[in-house]
Amino acid sequence: MNWVALRMLTGDKAKYLGIVFGVSFAALLMAQQSAIFAGLMRNTTSQIRDIEGADIWVMDKSVQFVDDIKPMSENRLLRVRGVEGVAWAVKLYKSVARAKLADGTFQQVILLGLDYDNKDSAGRVVGQPRAERILAGNWEDLEQPDAVFLDEFGWRYLFGDTPYEQGRSLEINNKRANIVGMVKCKPTFQTFPILYTKYSQAIQYNPPEPKTLSFILVKAQDGVPHNELCAAITKQTGMKAQTNDEFFWTTIQYYMERTGIPINFGITVFLGFVVGCAIAGQTFYLFTLENLKQFGSLKAMGVSNLRIIKMVMLQALVVGLIGYGLGVGGAALFGLVFETFVKSAPPAFYFGWQILVIAAVAVAVIITLSAAMSLKKVLFLEAGVVFR
Amino acid sequence: MFTRYLLPAVAVCTLLFAVFQMTKAQQKPAPVSPPIEPGKSPYLKQLAGAGIVESETENIAVGSHVPGVVTKVFVKVGELVEPEQRLFELDDRFQRAEFEVRKAAQMSAEATVKKLKESPRREERPIYEAKLLEAEVNFREQSQLYDRLKKISNTSSISEEELEKRFMGNELGKAQLAKSRADFKLWEAGTWLPDLEIAQAALAQTVAQRVQSEVDLSRLTAKAPHARWKAVSNGTEVPDDAGVKFKVLQVSIRPGEFVGAAAGQALIVLGYVGKLHVRVDIDENDIIRFRPNLVGVAKPRGNPDVGFPLTYVRVEPYVIPKRSLTGANTERVDTRVLQVIYSIDTQGQSLYVGQQMDVFLNAGEK
Repeated sequence: MNWVALRMLTGDKAKYLGIVFGVSFAALLMAQQSAIFAGLMRNTTSQIRDIEGADIWVMDKSVQFVDDIKPMSENRLLRVRGVEGVAWAVKLYKSVARAKLADGTFQQVILLGLDYDNKDSAGRVVGQPRAERILAGNWEDLEQPDAVFLDEFGWRYLFGDTPYEQGRSLEINNKRANIVGMVKCKPTFQTFPILYTKYSQAIQYNPPEPKTLSFILVKAQDGVPHNELCAAITKQTGMKAQTNDEFFWTTIQYYMERTGIPINFGITVFLGFVVGCAIAGQTFYLFTLENLKQFGSLKAMGVSNLRIIKMVMLQALVVGLIGYGLGVGGAALFGLVFETFVKSAPPAFYFGWQILVIAAVAVAVIITLSAAMSLKKVLFLEAGVVFR
Repeated sequence: MFTRYLLPAVAVCTLLFAVFQMTKAQQKPAPVSPPIEPGKSPYLKQLAGAGIVESETENIAVGSHVPGVVTKVFVKVGELVEPEQRLFELDDRFQRAEFEVRKAAQMSAEATVKKLKESPRREERPIYEAKLLEAEVNFREQSQLYDRLKKISNTSSISEEELEKRFMGNELGKAQLAKSRADFKLWEAGTWLPDLEIAQAALAQTVAQRVQSEVDLSRLTAKAPHARWKAVSNGTEVPDDAGVKFKVLQVSIRPGEFVGAAAGQALIVLGYVGKLHVRVDIDENDIIRFRPNLVGVAKPRGNPDVGFPLTYVRVEPYVIPKRSLTGANTERVDTRVLQVIYSIDTQGQSLYVGQQMDVFLNAGEK
């Protein structure tokens, strides 16, 4: 009987392809749009993910997300070090500065100042990019005067297609910034070039502020639960303390609440769903209507209603699976092409498992709705219709 | 063929591709390893502060008494100097010239006093005696002339007028003799005492001015101070410099430079570096967690593996505005700090005065 159902499905090529196209189009649209949305949201947290090595971010209590800097007194670092359970704490400077290029144009850049007062025994600092992220130059060169590391997208942003070369420099607030190397950074939401430098250097690049400390990065002692340490830090110092994950979600939450991005993408995903439902549902219904005679014969032969339901569901499942496979595959291909060929913009495409699940659930709903509509017709069919 | 086999096959392929892309995006890099440990705290419960190394005497910023141009610098950085040793000298030409003027004034006053003391001048006696004799002879002559005329006055051979004239001549001679005698006496008596006293007072004034000039001159030379003083029986204090040697930590002046006399200038920094101290800044919010006699360790910046044990010395009871020791671009007051002095055990390693340390105090032990 299943074989009959499949023959019935593939019998009318045009309708069959129509249903598959409807489902795959819906899956593609939903998967691709949600992946771009997830990618954009993830990009807002790129610095949280780029600065590795610590467990907890400590900041002023009014900070809402990673780019919302509320400078603190440097003494706060010492106060955090005094909290029980803190293995070590270092400072981090983050700000947006205005860089002047050799041709006189200005460009906003993201400045990250790493704490060179607190190096480890091997001379490394917290937040230092891991070796595979360093694309050019020696990280040790950052200790030279006026040295900065520029990120890969930033290089393209500032210097176009010119390949990396040693000896370029920028001017920030009338001070020189020698680019001594290039690092790979996760794509950012703001798209500005990222400059890594020493904390002491970074504060020179901005006009004097009464307070300079942006974040304190904390490592918990072995065996101390991170969330308990966060609570202890907040209790003792009055500052906001969040684990890497919490801060990641706080930042995303901010953009979800304060920008129109989720609504816009939500509407697109919903439209994809509606279009999928319309095309696939309608075609599947027409297909069933056309095959009513066949279903009638089967019924006349004494095939039970349960059997018929199973047959229709199988048909729906097959088109659903094929459409889903094509759709999400297309979305993944889109992502790959986007990341490979679009060099001018940092990619905003995150193809997580959630995307596949969301698309699968939506496709399942679409085919179930379509099948249900058709089944209504089939189940209330009288066998005698064949003979009319 | 296409619909039955190819399309499902393509769909399976694209689905696999999607799953592959998903797993690629899903990959999380292994945590940074080995974990880096910048300045890990040695205590379970701790109080952290920023510290700066200073010498046991604290750092003595030697200043200048007066503004002026430096002519000589006698010490080099790193040298050991004793109290009272000369450090630098300012241009002294003006003060030296003034000193010469004052010295001359004193000599002049001394000569005046000497002159007054040595009068009457012996060589003047014959003059006064001769004058006296002259007056006596003159008087005798006048009186004889008058007597002679008086005897013949009954006769009318002389006029009344003539007699009167002789009488006046006699009186004048008497008065002149009296004046000569008085002059002789005055001369013989010598200097009047108040005159001498005035001259001596003037001398004392010029001496004082010369001494003042000397002080002005000596103030142009800056010297190493005394480190300790001890009381002696009569209630005063004398320097107790036995064994005290200062190290010259910084020399910020060179011959030819102008120095002012403003406060807070560190022209030459001295320190008694027998032992090193660490001045620890504790945030005002953490004062409640501080107790005297906490032990601790100090870690130099950039070398978190080394920890120098600290011993409590004293606490500065005045909570001061924080001077930014933590490398900020300018010094700013944003909070107040309690300063605690700890003695640091250098364990034979070299530490420099002025070096910044990360200090961890053990707040756990009672």
